[in-house]
Formats: sequence, structure tokens, C-alpha cells
Amino acid sequence: MTDILLFRDIDEPGLATIDVYERRGGYQALRTALKTDPAELIETLKGSGLRGRGGAGFPMGLKASFIPQGDMQKYVVVNADESEPGTFKDRELMQKNPHQLIEGVIIAAYAVGATKSFIYIRGEYEEQADILDAAVQEAYAKGYLGENVAGSGVELSLHVQRGAGAYICGEETGLLDSLEGRRGNPRLKPPFPANAGLFQGPTLINNVETLSALPHIVELGAETYSAIGVANSSGTKLISISGNVQRPGNYEIELGMSSRDIIYGLAGGPPEGREVKFWFPGGSSSPVLTADDLDVGYDFDSIAKAGSMLGSGAIIVVDDSQSVVDVCLKLAHFYAHESCGKCTPCREGTNWTEKMLGRVKDGTATPMDLDIMASVQQRIIGNCLCVLGDAMAMPVSSMIAKFRGEFEAHIEAARAAADRAAVGVAG
Amino acid sequence: MPRPVAQMVTFTLNGQEVTAPENAILADAALEHGNVEIPVFCYEPKIGGPVGACRMCLVEIEGIPKLQAGCSVPVKDGMVVHTDTPRVREAQEAVLEFILVNHPLDCPVCDKGGECPLQDKSFGWGDGISRFVEPKRHFEKPLALSPLIAIDRERCILCYRCVRFSQEVSEDHQLVLQERGAHAFVATFDGHPYVAPFSGNIIELCPVGALTSQPYRFRARPWDIEQSGSICTLCPAQCNVSFTVRDDRVLRVLQRDHEGVDDGWLCDKGRFAYQAIHVDERITQPLLRDGGELRPVTWELALETAAAALGRGRGRTAALAGGAATNEEGWLLQGLLRDSLDSADIDSRAGGTLPLDLHQALGAPALQASVPDLEFAHAVLVLGTEPVDDAPVLDLRLRKGVRRHGLQLFTATSRPSALDERAVLAVRYAPGAEAAFVAALDAALTGADVAGPAAAAGADADAVRALADGLRAAGEDIVVLWGERVCSGAAGADAARGLLNVAARLGLEGRDGAGLLGVPDGANGRGLREVGVLPNAAPGLAAPDTDGRDAAGIAAALAAGELTGVYLLRTDPLVDLADTPLWERALEKATTVIAHASFLTPGIAEHATVVFPAESHAEKEGTVVHPDGRLQRLRPAIGRQGETRPEWQVLAELRRALGNDERLLTCSMVTARMLESIPFYAGLTLDTIGADGTRWTERPQGAAAPAGAAAPFDLPAPAPAASPNGRLRLGTFRSIWASPEVGASPALKFLHPRQRVELAPGDAERLGVRHGSPVTVACDGRSVTGIAHVRASAPEGSVFLETAIAADSAAELDGPLVEVRPA
Repeated sequence: MTDILLFRDIDEPGLATIDVYERRGGYQALRTALKTDPAELIETLKGSGLRGRGGAGFPMGLKASFIPQGDMQKYVVVNADESEPGTFKDRELMQKNPHQLIEGVIIAAYAVGATKSFIYIRGEYEEQADILDAAVQEAYAKGYLGENVAGSGVELSLHVQRGAGAYICGEETGLLDSLEGRRGNPRLKPPFPANAGLFQGPTLINNVETLSALPHIVELGAETYSAIGVANSSGTKLISISGNVQRPGNYEIELGMSSRDIIYGLAGGPPEGREVKFWFPGGSSSPVLTADDLDVGYDFDSIAKAGSMLGSGAIIVVDDSQSVVDVCLKLAHFYAHESCGKCTPCREGTNWTEKMLGRVKDGTATPMDLDIMASVQQRIIGNCLCVLGDAMAMPVSSMIAKFRGEFEAHIEAARAAADRAAVGVAG
Repeated sequence: MPRPVAQMVTFTLNGQEVTAPENAILADAALEHGNVEIPVFCYEPKIGGPVGACRMCLVEIEGIPKLQAGCSVPVKDGMVVHTDTPRVREAQEAVLEFILVNHPLDCPVCDKGGECPLQDKSFGWGDGISRFVEPKRHFEKPLALSPLIAIDRERCILCYRCVRFSQEVSEDHQLVLQERGAHAFVATFDGHPYVAPFSGNIIELCPVGALTSQPYRFRARPWDIEQSGSICTLCPAQCNVSFTVRDDRVLRVLQRDHEGVDDGWLCDKGRFAYQAIHVDERITQPLLRDGGELRPVTWELALETAAAALGRGRGRTAALAGGAATNEEGWLLQGLLRDSLDSADIDSRAGGTLPLDLHQALGAPALQASVPDLEFAHAVLVLGTEPVDDAPVLDLRLRKGVRRHGLQLFTATSRPSALDERAVLAVRYAPGAEAAFVAALDAALTGADVAGPAAAAGADADAVRALADGLRAAGEDIVVLWGERVCSGAAGADAARGLLNVAARLGLEGRDGAGLLGVPDGANGRGLREVGVLPNAAPGLAAPDTDGRDAAGIAAALAAGELTGVYLLRTDPLVDLADTPLWERALEKATTVIAHASFLTPGIAEHATVVFPAESHAEKEGTVVHPDGRLQRLRPAIGRQGETRPEWQVLAELRRALGNDERLLTCSMVTARMLESIPFYAGLTLDTIGADGTRWTERPQGAAAPAGAAAPFDLPAPAPAASPNGRLRLGTFRSIWASPEVGASPALKFLHPRQRVELAPGDAERLGVRHGSPVTVACDGRSVTGIAHVRASAPEGSVFLETAIAADSAAELDGPLVEVRPA
């Protein structure tokens, strides 16, 4: 079955150890890759059509081809700062199959000529970081890392760096600043990391899932891999489904599958007697879709056409027992809390939105506040230094637009309740 | 690095064609070349590249879907930019609304009110109403960020300018941002006060009233004040400043950005020492010694007494000029001495006589590097000077060169330099062994024997070779930034010859972007030399009729009774010069000590017979010469305080009283006479010097400067540095804070230095000295006490003490070896 690649043998006991991984065919793709010319390898990556799995969906091979030629120090950095609410696929990949990632890193480093690599892992992923550390040690011991990678004469070091628990460090340039030992804040782009990334050197930075796909692309070849999925969205995708579904968890799907089949087929749909009210197709930062959109194909273009984005591939399902106000407030709180504070619209806009939603919740808002809130979201979108501000403004905007009636009804009811309480106290 | 040459391109700005340098930042190009202001808060090119944080400068560029930050887009040919479309207006309004979300509207009580960029931008680009009704964030306020700076975190708009200044300009890394999102705030590392030589610059960088000057807070509103441009003469860096004046008092000093001098930065001494202008301790009326005490007298009596005393001492009177004296004063002083008093004993240097042809050669126009050269050179060798103490703003210039232009910095000093951390290579030599070190470097550059002179210098021969190789490999544009101490002392002439050799070996002569840049001890040291305040030079570095005694010779002659009087123009030998014991005897013995002074420092208080009140730098008129040859003009910002009269006028009146009939009625008349008397200043007038000054070394008339001795020279084998043998070699330094103005400024007083004894950890351990504990440093029966400062980077075998302080100065000690013990 070609739609199981990254999760192949995922529950095999001991897969996290190099012996089991090798026994299952691990590091064979690396040997193949090392016999290929790096330029040809990049062509293979381009031809595979693999798009970045971290959220932005930028073609991976193209990104690798931006890394300049030359003798300067180059880096490969793995973005393992998986912090988007609803997203937990990288965690399983690192926990259960760390060597697949390491093999992917080595292939990528060889392709772009990097001799130093880092895995920047979310601080809360302590167990996964320990597993990665052990796996990296094994890979060094077996000669897959170090001064002579698999006897090829190529050099590569790999270091696992733990973050300190900031969402913004998942933003690639914030991650690089943090990795350099600075305060994790996004940088101005351009220059892009491909030209001036870690320590100002050319840097290929990719998500865990993206790099974990590399051994499979090398193994299958660009043509076979690109045949998986649909046009412009090739390959398989790990999706994390959470929220009001009966079987939450991680699933590997072939891109283009119907969203309904994922939510109802794989995850079992909402509990008995409940309906899907709305769902986030690509993590908490994607604009919400409703039950009307369930038949949209789950691929980059179709989700974008429906007005949202595939993002990290995390589907959060909200059923009709939930209040949109609660979901919205929780979300705004997260982004206001995680805004780094560097750029004005995000810093002040997330903070302002959270305060307004707090008033909606406690009954001291008016419908006019909804207009202001909607306008504030429009004033955030596109005006920020990085996408964190948009990550709150887009879903909040979509919720206000699609559920304005419910917001107004909540304001009315909460105000009436507050009034009653006040009268009760006075009486 | 050769300076980048910009090609001009044309782009369209709001429908109008604008020509600007390619890759110029759009916000700059729009303003400078298109007369369109794109509002910015975080962008400040002086600090570094754009960061795109505030988002105030969003503009529309055709072909790019998203609005772009005008602070970070380089101008390209054919680019079409709109800054006035509804979309852009909406975005700018939005950002201002966001900025004001948490900004308190306390403008009526805010120091910045009336000169506040946030007010201006709100007025120009905001929509005038606020939709924000939630509670604003609150912080404890105001807090002292340091004794000099107050921080109001509620007003802060988090533009990061101050933090970036601390991290990327002054590189003191003391300011940080804590917390995140709307809770983020500017703080210092670990809560320590932000005390650093350049801290005050963040006040001017702050675009709101979050960072305010403690001494200036609540002293004036912008409509009460006037700005008056002049030059700071508290050190040789001669930064261009603007004095804030209210009711004839200086309330503040601001930078007056001059790319060729200061790059728009000031040190805290220059920024805050204005306070010394308006303190009670300042001398503002003439004083006469009467019955052992200095008493206030009328000008007539003081001038009469001084003229009579000078007349009596004809032929037996010497003169010394301090660094803050202007060219006009120096020129009048040497004329007074040489023409009216028949004396040749005049000096403005502390370090002894240097042959005239070496003065000429070291100052030759073809060999002079400029301040911007420090930034754009391939390599700079910092030799025998500590920029942050000797000419502070140059420290920032060198850091900028390293950070932004790939400058390769080399340091060669006896005392560890603050710049060592930014240097490719830092080389140490024994204190006072400058001549031997320069000889070793010269030998390394010619491939001769390095080991001998390096050993004499107490330097590592391999390091000297590495330095020579590094300089050669770096490129052709090399600047040697050297301190006056290099060419001082017994071997000063040999050191000067060695330095000229080094310049010749590196091919610095006549090369644009390369050369020597000498940092004199005194603020106007270069000017005073050029106008003839040297024992062996008349105005224009011409040979005088007779050579006179240098400062040390004057002291000896006074002590021996060969001289009877000394004229001290803004200098106190007991503070500014070496060998305090000798000077004490000299001043004790002198019958006439006429001084121009602002403060009763020890030598003045004890020994002056007549004291004329000296003008402060905000009151002064005249010209000075920057170390790189730039004549700069001082303009009075305030009236002279109390009964103070212009010092040039005092000198002119004495000259008249002593028989010179020429009437000098204004300072500009003196300037004109002075400029006329010096061939290489020919054609210069106050107008041509102008507000930005003029480098005479760049003018064709500069060729009239005497060429001096021609390198290369044969250097004698240098005398070996004293071997410590259990004791320590004495090195000295003058802190940035060692000036009477610092001691007299209430806000700066806490920085006024007391003796600090710097030594290496190994020596400290051997001598039983602990960091921070009092120690005694003794030599030949004399001793001073100070606080031990154990520095990991200090070389073993040497100890470094401060000079130019009123008590326990290193000038008390003779050296070259001293004993250090716990006090």
C-alpha cells in the first residue's frame, strides 16, 4: 500500500533503535543517495513534488535548490518545535522512528553540501529529545554521522537542541535566533535562511515530517513518489485529528482524500448524536471550515480554494455542543500569550482581541465590539513581520464571519445574565 | 574596505519620478530624494540594518501583493511605490492605533511632549480617534535605569532601538528585552543599572518619552528652549554637539550628527558634564592670592597684577596650555610668551620634546587618515591608546567597522583594551616600551630580526610577526590609530621614527583611506601644536628663533629657580602632568603662577597667584583642530557665567599691557590673524570652516605644511623594559571619567574615578591582593592607595594605575617598577 510510508512499521517494537531500523531496510536510501550526484538528488527532490509539511507548504526541492554553491559553511536545521495547537504528528515520528528523520537529515545535508545539522526540538518534548539523543549517538557509533558518513568521505555533525517552550521558535527565523542563543524573535526576510540563515550561513530548514519523507523519495524515485496524491499535492501526509471525534490520533493519508472520509471514516466523526459544527483543516491557525465543506479534498489546493489552508495537517473538529465564543477566546488567548512582541500589529492586536473576546464572554460587550474585532483582524492580516499575527486573525475572522449570529446571541444572553446577577446583588 | 559607490537609479514615488542611489533604503531615498516622508519608529540606520518591527512604514510596491516595510526595501530601478493610497493609509493608521493601544496619553506631563516622534506621527498619519476601551498595561514608573536615565515602561512602544544600541552599537550587551507579547519590556541584564560609557545615546534614540534624562527631566518644555550648535572640547574626539539652552543655562547636550567626526553618538561625559557649567564650585570671577588665600578681585586688579608680575618675570616665565585651549588662545599665548616676554619655554604636551621634523612628519597631510577611514579600512591597528578612554566615540566607530564592513582590527597596547574582544589579534607589550614595540613591528614588516626588539618590549615575538603578517594580508587600506603616549618619554623620538617606518613599510603615505591617526592627550592637542604651543615649534610648525624647555624642563627649571613664573592656560600640572613631586616643588618655588581655570584643583588652589575664570565649552568662541586635521568652530551657546571674560580677551589684554600695540577687538579678528600666520591654513576663514568644519589636510593649501623627516630611519637597538623581579611594571591610564567636569557634575559625580589598581590574577594571588580590596602601590618612598581590580586579561608583571585624578594619582609615582601590597 503506497499510502503508508512514514508510518510504515511505526508500531514495530524497537524501531527507535538503529538495529531494528536497519533490519527494516533503514539507511539503505542513504547509501543510494550518497552514490548520487548532489545536483541530481536535488532534481529528484524537486521532481517528487514534496511540499513542506510544517505549515507553509513550500516545495521542498525548490527550497533546497536555493542553497548557494560554494565552500561556505552550510547548515541543515530540523524544525521540531511542533507547537501548533492540534498538531502532534512529529512527536510520534520522533518518538517511534527517530532514525528515519536522521536518515532524511543526512540525505538533505548531502544534497545541499551542509556539514553541520541541528534538530531544534520543542522543550516540552523531553522524552522525544532523549530518544533522539540516543538515536543520534547510535548513528555516530555506526558511522552515519561524523567525519566520514557511511564511508563516503562526506562530513556531517548533528546536534539535538532543546527549545525553552516558545511557540514563536517554531517560526523558522525565530528558531534560528534561538538556536544561535538569542531571544527567539522572527527576523526580517529577505534575506531568507537559504542565503543567510543560521550564523548567517546558507541554511536549509525543514519540518520533521518533510525530512522524514526523504528516504522514501530516494527509495521510490521522484516519479513513483509524485504519483502518490493529487496534482500539486504529491505524497502522503500525516494528519493529527483531535477535538470532537471518536478516534483522535495520527493517521497517514494519501493527499487528496476526501475530508469527510478522514473525519468520519478514519476518526469516526463526532460522538453519537452530534454534528460537525466547524473544523480547522490545518491547525488552530487555519480559518475554520463548516460542515458544508466536508467533501473538500484534503490537499493543498482544494483546502485553499475552500478558503482555508492545509497548514500542518492538523484537523480539529468542533461539534454542535461547543460554543464558538469559547473556542475563539481560547485561541486568541493562546496567540496573545505566544506573540513574541517584536512587531506592533501582532503584539497589540492579539492582546486587544483577547481582551475584547473576554468582554464578549462575560457580557460587557456590544455587537459593535464584533465590528471592531473584525476590523482589528483585518488590520493585523498581512501587516505583521511573521505569520503569528495572521495565525490568530485568520481563524478569529472566519469565526466571526461564519458565526456572527451566535456571537451576538451570546453577548445578549451574557449581558442579561450579568444584569440579573447585578440586580440580585442589589436586591 | 573601499567605500561602496552607489549607482543612481530612477523609481516612481506617488507618480513622481525620483532618482536615488540604487539599493538605498526606500524610506531614506523617499525622504532625501523625493521629499516624501515614510513614517518610521524602529528604523534608525545609525544603529544598523532594518528590523521591520514597528510596521509603521508599510507602503505599496507594484507587483508585490503584500504591503512592504519601507524601512527594509532597497530601491531598484523602475520600482513603482505608493505611500498615499487608501490601502497604505489604512495600514499606517492601523499600526498607529495598535501602538497607542498601550501608550498612555500623558503627553502634557511627558518630557518628550512637543518633540516626540510618536506625537508627530499620530498627528500626521493617525486617524485621531481610539477604539480601544480596555485597560492599558501598567508598570511601576518611572524607574531609574541608571542614575542618568529614567525608564517609563508604560510609554515604551517596543521599537527596540535602545536594546539594539546596547547590543549592536556600544556592544555593552546590558539592555535586554524581557517577557514577550504585550508584556514585553526593556530591562537590564539581571537588573543591574545601565552604566556604560555611551548609555545616554538611548535617550535620544527613544522615539517616545520612555527613556528620559534624569538631569533634564521636568527642566523645560520644548517651547522654552533653544538649540545651539558647537563642539564638545572635553576630549580629542571633538564631537559635534547641540546645547539645549533655557534662560542662558545649558540644560542638555544633544548630538549634532557629523559623519566625519562622531557618527551621531556622544559619550556620557560629553552628554552630561554640561552640569559643571552651572555649579557653585566653578570659578566665575578673577581671584588673587592675598595673605595665602585666593580672594575675589576686580578684573582690573587681576589683569594689572598679572601684567606686572609677567613684566617682572620677563625672560624667566614659562607657559603651559591644557588640551581644552583653543587655537586662538594657544596662538595668543605663544605670541605673548615669545614676543612680549622673551621666553621660549612653552609646551602643550606632557610627554617631552619630540624633534620638530618628527612632529611635521607625523602630521603631514599625505599621511593623515580620517575618522571615516577607521570604519572603511581593511585593517586598523590600535597602538598605545584606549579609544574608549582617550577619544570615546572612536571606539564605536571601530566597532561599526568590524560589525558592518568587515574591518580587521588589531590592538597593540600594554594595558588590555576594551576592543580586544573585537580584534583579530591583540598584542601586549610592557608599559612604556612603545619604542621597542614599534621597532619590533618595523623589524617584522621588513623581515629583520624581531626577537631582539620584541624581547626589549616585553612582547611575544611570534605575536609581533603575526601582527605584521595580519596587517599585510588584510589589504592596502590600513590605518594606525596611535596614542600620544607612544611618542612620549625618553624614547619618544625613536618611537616616532619607528611609527613613520611602519607607515612607510605599509605604504600608507598618499593613500586615500589609509594613514596615521594620532590621538593627542589634550582635546585640542593637534591644534595647539599647529599654532606653535611647543617648545620647538612656532605657528605653522615652523622652527622658532630659539628652542625652549618642554613641560618637564619647565618643572625642573622652576624648581631650580631658573624660572620664576609660569602661565597655566587651562591646565593644572598636579593633575594633568607626570611627576607630581617635582611639580609640587616647582609650583612652590615659583613666585608667579597665573592660571586660567574653572575649578580649584590642587595645583591651582595651592599655588596660583592670579586665577582668571575659564570659559566652559558652551561659552567658548574660536576654533580647534580635530586629530584628523579638521578645523572645527566653537560657537558660544550661552553668555559667560558670572564675571567670566573670554580667555582670548584676557590674553590679548595682557599682550597689550606688555607692549604689543595691535588691537584685537573680537575673537574672529584673532582667528583671522592666527589663520593668516599659518601657511597651511591659508585662505581659511570662519565661513569656510563652517558648521561642519574643514580638514585642512585635504585642501591644496595643505601642501604648504613642512614635510619633516623622511622615513625610513635606522632605529637604534631599543633599551630593554625593566625586569619586574618580584615587583611590577607601572603602567598608567587616564579614564574617560577623569576630568574635573565629571567630578563637578552632580549627575556624573558617581563615576568620578578613585584610584583603581589593575593587575593580573596571578600577580594578585602572589601578592595576597584580593579584587575590590584596598592596596598600596609604592616606589622610592612614595606611595598611593587604591582599590585592587583584578583583570583576567591584564598581563602578568605589570600594574596599571590611573592618572589625571586629584588624589592618589599614578603621577605621584616615578616607576618604572613599583611594589604592590595589601593596604
